[in-house]
Amino acid sequence: MADKVTFWYGCNVVRHGDIIHSAITLLEAVGIEVTPAGGAGYCCGTAKDGNLRAAEGMGKRTVEKFNAHGTGQVVSWCPSCYRHMNAFMGEYTDAQFELSSFAQLLHARRDVLAAKLTHRASNGNKRKVMLHKHFGFHEVDVNPLVEDLLRLIPGVELVETAVSSPGHMCSALARVPASLKDATRAVCDAAASTKAHTVATVFHSCQRLLCALEGSEPFKVVNYVNLLTEAMGLPSQDDYKDWKLAGSEDAVIAKVGEARIAAMGEKLFRESILPELLRRPSK
Amino acid sequence: MTEKAATLRDHLDDFIADTLSRCTRCGKCFEACPMTRYSDGLSQAEPKAVVSGVLDWLQQTPGNAESVAWLKVCTQSSRCIEACPEGINAMKMVRVGQMSAMGSLGVPAAHAAMSGREAKDFFRVINAFSETQMTSDEIDRWQR
Repeated sequence: MADKVTFWYGCNVVRHGDIIHSAITLLEAVGIEVTPAGGAGYCCGTAKDGNLRAAEGMGKRTVEKFNAHGTGQVVSWCPSCYRHMNAFMGEYTDAQFELSSFAQLLHARRDVLAAKLTHRASNGNKRKVMLHKHFGFHEVDVNPLVEDLLRLIPGVELVETAVSSPGHMCSALARVPASLKDATRAVCDAAASTKAHTVATVFHSCQRLLCALEGSEPFKVVNYVNLLTEAMGLPSQDDYKDWKLAGSEDAVIAKVGEARIAAMGEKLFRESILPELLRRPSK
Repeated sequence: MTEKAATLRDHLDDFIADTLSRCTRCGKCFEACPMTRYSDGLSQAEPKAVVSGVLDWLQQTPGNAESVAWLKVCTQSSRCIEACPEGINAMKMVRVGQMSAMGSLGVPAAHAAMSGREAKDFFRVINAFSETQMTSDEIDRWQR
């Protein structure tokens, strides 16, 4: 596989800069030269099903930008972006690159990665980790790949569970709230029965929607890339989770801080971001 | 050899024509769906009728109420793809059905059965979070 790649992290993952930075750290650690690309300027257009002209424009623009990178290899973090590129964007554009998933690439170089995971996970003798799974990402069988990667971490005991939820990640379930509630309850029940210390999320939207469980459940919610970088001796800071766990409106505002609220825009923060940060997972 | 579509709409038209020519309306895709239990409107639904309704949407004709109920609970679980004996990407069929139900393919707005509006302030929120999580240099180099 290529040594130079475009790392397409997507849009919604920007809530978790820690995930983006850890993913880049991991790719570089296994010898890959990374050109990161993401945010609104590289949107795939999957949210624009109600406006196909906009969806097409966004898709063409993003493919043209990737072609200009000249890496010939685009590695996608987000399963929605991957799916949209495969099912739609690639059908009407001249994509001059191969598409793969982040977990596939990292898994292919797991021997190199393993040598760098020298810091033992801490939680007494063993840290029990349970993978939070969805079964909807049919294009890439991502769960076994991530389980293999987690097994590389010294001190981690990967606990088995048959629990796997519909959709390709939790955000897909948000449109059917009862299903998200069921999926959340299933995670909590499985973590309780396996006595997991940590629930490892695969994708960013699961991290976004489940991280606040730490406020009421006896386990941590951590994305797997952060568990891997931690094992490299590079702990990460999940600001989004910190803000979600702050509790009250005043506490969230204090945690986010005036400077960042000003950068986001006070009105936007009050109307759209603060309500999101105050929302709790339902189970 | 089929020529590559020049536009998204061209591709969707090709996909719709291919799906309509191959779908036997057996209903296996609907039967495999893990989400149907989340809609009261689907508890007694006849699988063949639901699929026929989705195919109506593909032909820019409003489909039956059961088809709308199915379109609304799809969370892209992929089970329908594995279930189709004809090898149709049934999940994509449902997605294109959703586009039609939003009025994106030509169904008059008055007959649209789903909202096509994305979350309020979607990209403004994305950009706002970027400001808090990335450096200015990263935003310039990675996101422009």
